[in-house]
Amino acid sequence: MNEQISTILKSVSKPGRYSAGEYGQTIKDKSQVKARFAFCFPDSYEIGMSNLGVRILYGALNEQPDIWCERAYMPWVDMEEKMREHHMPLCAHESGDPLKDFDIVGFTLQYEMCYTNVLAMLDLAGIPLRAADRTDDMPIIIGGGPCSYNAEPIADFFDVFSIGEGEDMLVEFTRLMIDMKEKGTYTREAFLHEAARTIGGTYVPSFYEVTYHEDGTVKAYTPKYDDIPVRVTKRIMKDMDKAYFPKQVVVPYIETVQDRIMLEVYRGCIRGCRFCQAGMIYRPVREKTPEVLNEQARCLFEATGYDEISLSSLSISDYTRLEELTDLLLPWTDANMVSLSLPSLRVDSFTKELMDKIATVRTSSLTFAPEAGTQRLRDVINKNVVEEDLLRAVNVAFDAGKNTVKLYFMSGLPTETDEDLAGIAQLAKKVVDAYYQSPTKRRGKPPQVTISVSCFIPKPFTPFQWEAQDTMEELARKQEYLGSQITDRKIRYTHHDARVSRIEAVLARGDRRLSAALELACREGFHFDAWDEYFDYDKWISVIERTGLDPAFYANRRFGLDEVLPWDIIDCGVSKEFFKREHDRAYAGNTTPNCREKCSGCGANKLGGERTCCPSCTK
Amino acid sequence: MLSELHKMSSSQNGIIDFTTLRIRFRKMGSMQYISHLDLQRTLGRVFIRAGLPLWFTKGFNPHPKLNFAMPLSVGTQSECELLDLRFKVDMDPAEVMERMNRQLTDELRVTEVYVPQTKFSDIAYAAYEYEIHTTGADGALAERISALLHTAPLVMTKRTKSGEKEMDIIPQIRRADVCYDGDGDCIRIAAELSATTDNFLNPELVMSALIQHCGIMQGDPMQENYTIVRRRILTADGENFR
Repeated sequence: MNEQISTILKSVSKPGRYSAGEYGQTIKDKSQVKARFAFCFPDSYEIGMSNLGVRILYGALNEQPDIWCERAYMPWVDMEEKMREHHMPLCAHESGDPLKDFDIVGFTLQYEMCYTNVLAMLDLAGIPLRAADRTDDMPIIIGGGPCSYNAEPIADFFDVFSIGEGEDMLVEFTRLMIDMKEKGTYTREAFLHEAARTIGGTYVPSFYEVTYHEDGTVKAYTPKYDDIPVRVTKRIMKDMDKAYFPKQVVVPYIETVQDRIMLEVYRGCIRGCRFCQAGMIYRPVREKTPEVLNEQARCLFEATGYDEISLSSLSISDYTRLEELTDLLLPWTDANMVSLSLPSLRVDSFTKELMDKIATVRTSSLTFAPEAGTQRLRDVINKNVVEEDLLRAVNVAFDAGKNTVKLYFMSGLPTETDEDLAGIAQLAKKVVDAYYQSPTKRRGKPPQVTISVSCFIPKPFTPFQWEAQDTMEELARKQEYLGSQITDRKIRYTHHDARVSRIEAVLARGDRRLSAALELACREGFHFDAWDEYFDYDKWISVIERTGLDPAFYANRRFGLDEVLPWDIIDCGVSKEFFKREHDRAYAGNTTPNCREKCSGCGANKLGGERTCCPSCTK
Repeated sequence: MLSELHKMSSSQNGIIDFTTLRIRFRKMGSMQYISHLDLQRTLGRVFIRAGLPLWFTKGFNPHPKLNFAMPLSVGTQSECELLDLRFKVDMDPAEVMERMNRQLTDELRVTEVYVPQTKFSDIAYAAYEYEIHTTGADGALAERISALLHTAPLVMTKRTKSGEKEMDIIPQIRRADVCYDGDGDCIRIAAELSATTDNFLNPELVMSALIQHCGIMQGDPMQENYTIVRRRILTADGENFR
């Protein structure tokens, strides 16, 4: 295939994105394979190759001898243009076969702004966009990942969503297809019905009819069959030590974003920050043991030759056995000059001992996320971090010879006032001052404190899911006000584009009627909307309004506490009652202890789990 | 027997702290799209997987020392890449080759490992094979191409570190044999191009000259294509460099 398109490959940027042939990829004999699965990442190769979920699921599917899972990515704009010009269909990486010839095409949905790339990929593959337009000989399109918890805006394009963790579900799903095709009982409808009926975590949107009130809010979801779940409960891997973890991963030739071993230490998060979706949907916390982790890391090191291991989890310092793990890892990683990195550090756990062990020491920069500028607002969002923690953490960093600190904040949080915004500037100033107050004289390099401020986006399955996002005018005013509060030239201030955040809010809390807007967006050539240079706010507003919808209805409206939410069809384990309690506590300015200190009864323990901090389930 | 070059001393007191082996490898097919920088990173991982006891630079950021004869540009394939590697201990060349190849794919494969007797500065030319599939290929086109590559001046714009420079490339072409396949759409060229450090002629630049002056590769890119393969590396008198 490469030879035929070599002229085109020579004319595009980074042709290594498309030429494949990487070490560690899985090649199978087509004649021995009963089902072919194309795992798509709807963004560039460099982003897609960095995703841990894809690495895990690619391996889990390929572990089955009769299933061949391949990869596909969104071609970069220059390649996409050539493909359309020369009618080249989107193909899988390994075999070079067109996606439309596969049995199953899966998309991982990591962020809302990739939806237009999902549609562009279907379009490039020559697969009809709408599930209703696809016939029995076409692939089944399945989605998964964090956005599938409210995938209603793209529900019309997918045959099915995998809700929760896919290691077992995808294998069961593919196997059911093989069985039905072998028995000759396969039709799309019969297969999807059987999957919805018998495989946990299967959500077939077309099997649920949605009705709306006159005011546009959802009235009800009505199942089309009486033997499918009324609400789809997410799947989890109960025992993370026993869950599939790859022994080999594809080692890319070209540099990718996360070009290292990613060791997943545990799933879930004990914290419960009230704006954070990941902290809720991945509950309950389930840890791996240090022994298993050490073995997995060693195995991947030998199989890939990567010289960096990233201990990845939502908040790595909350791992109960971090010390034991680093004690197991460091002897052989040091000997082989492999560096360890901890990407997600909380200020309250950042100690000199920890820093001495990790590779970030070699860079001159450290990043912390206080999220809000005043203690009052940090209590509202349940960040459970105090100013002293931050100042102690930056002092540790400064003492170790670092001079740059990056701080993440959010603006537009519920109950936020200008005082909270001014607090961000004051906090940054205190960090600068801490640099000069340190007993060890730091001369020569002045400190550099960067504050990066994103816009609050209300997300489904969080205590703030009902909140209204600030209007764009208000977000812009707040950004400008914060800028005016910063007087120190050692503080660098960057903020996210409020226009992107607004569209993200529309899609995050959207319902099924938005599918029409997305279809229009696809027809008008939208792509790479997660990339600033290809995002066009006015065009987005135009396609939404031309579909007869109001962006403010989704982004800037306070949803009613008793309203049926588009994502009520999904049960993520955490109960709506818990979210309501947390919502009320937020407005009362009360914090909630983390899961390890005290169980707050979120409900996720009903899902089970080994090495969790949850009280055992009574069920 | 080990040559003087094989055992080198990095210190004044004559203590030998590394030995050198020359790796000859091919970089074919889809590997042609992998840049030199990406190749270096890829090989770094291959050495780790193969468990080779490489010599590391001393200093703040220790790393293995890779010395390539001639970096290849993206879009050019090669049967004869050369890389000198420093080892901490004496290594059996056959074992190095075996251990590396276990970690490589067909398109990136070691073809020979040996103790170097020469220096890369002795390299004068590289021999390339062009295979050009273009509409309208015939004997007359082959003759036009041959005439172009043998008539000075052939002025091309060469991109250098100090910006763009106009220069006649004919003096840098040692040999260029052009032939038409007989039937079909394929023109073949065997060319020997200057390959010294300060006088390196990129084979792609010759291809650009053909596209600009002979009107080839103007049709459907799905039908027309070309490959360039570096076949041999030569010394000043045209002998194979080893």
